[in-house]
Amino acid sequence: MTEVPPPEAAPPAASRRLGPSALVMSAVVYPLLILQTLAFVLLAPIVLPLARLATGRPMDRIVRYFIRFYGQVWMVLIAPFTRFEKIDLALDRFPQPCIIVLNHRSLFDIFCMGALPFSNGGFALRSWPFRMFWYAPFMRLARYVDMESLGREEGLLRCRELLAEGISLMFFPEGHRSRDGRLGRFYSGAFKLAVETNTPIVPVCISGTDHLLPPGALLMAPTTIRLQALSAVDPSTFTGESGHVALRKTVKAAMAEALEKQR
Amino acid sequence: MQQDIQKDIIDTVNTALAEEFELDAEAMKPEAHLFNELGLDSLDAVDMVIVLEKAFGCKLRDEQAIREIRTLGDLYAFIETKRKELE
Repeated sequence: MTEVPPPEAAPPAASRRLGPSALVMSAVVYPLLILQTLAFVLLAPIVLPLARLATGRPMDRIVRYFIRFYGQVWMVLIAPFTRFEKIDLALDRFPQPCIIVLNHRSLFDIFCMGALPFSNGGFALRSWPFRMFWYAPFMRLARYVDMESLGREEGLLRCRELLAEGISLMFFPEGHRSRDGRLGRFYSGAFKLAVETNTPIVPVCISGTDHLLPPGALLMAPTTIRLQALSAVDPSTFTGESGHVALRKTVKAAMAEALEKQR
Repeated sequence: MQQDIQKDIIDTVNTALAEEFELDAEAMKPEAHLFNELGLDSLDAVDMVIVLEKAFGCKLRDEQAIREIRTLGDLYAFIETKRKELE
């Protein structure tokens, strides 16, 4: 196995400049986001059963499609204020199923997953997103995995079941949003799962969402959001008891390098 | 001899945890609080037990004592006691 040098952390993100455009953006986008969410929540009891009837697909599959569409609508809403740059976000970058690992800078990172070229993906998350009562029913219908409440063993068991059904999984291996733009410590769960199930890992790097709305901020600011899919990493060469550690280091180094270039 | 055993335990624990949890070697002092200072959390607790079981080749997960560990020093002492029991 090749020894991987420790990743160089990205420098802290530049400070945000909040001018009139941030006020206008927040005044326009927040009400639209609330309206969008209300519309989706109210339409769901009609649209989801109809879609199930029309397509014959399982409800969880339909809800994952619905959630991706929600993200796509959000991207349209903020498009007048935000430029999206998609780098290598093509379908052939994502073997199905795969484990996608994402760096985490903002609440809106998860919304950006509307830009993924496929919809059959679920999230493995900590508990707090499941406490947002307006999103939680959809997350549960989509079979998102609450790793914290379920515990490691049960959580990974659910993840293995989803992968076995061909459903890709997304993880924020940092667990928390970065406060300074640097990559934080990576949890091992996604990498252990990849090694155990021999599922390829696709690192996806996000930048710009920390300018859009970093942790603790209230006003959104116009920005450019870059989403870049890196080459899939085959876990089969990362063997032995510390295989997941080497895989984690390899993926983190690749993400740190890509994020540095995105600056 | 006693010091050698302790150093062996300290080195093994520090190496295993530093690799698993991306910890800085400088921060790994006996008085360092696992959760408050080293940044481990509930998701890490199970992984920590698994990593230490692999490193020392003995079962630790059913031990009540491991739930009361707060600092790295507590952890070294726990491992040392466990080793003596198995000798």
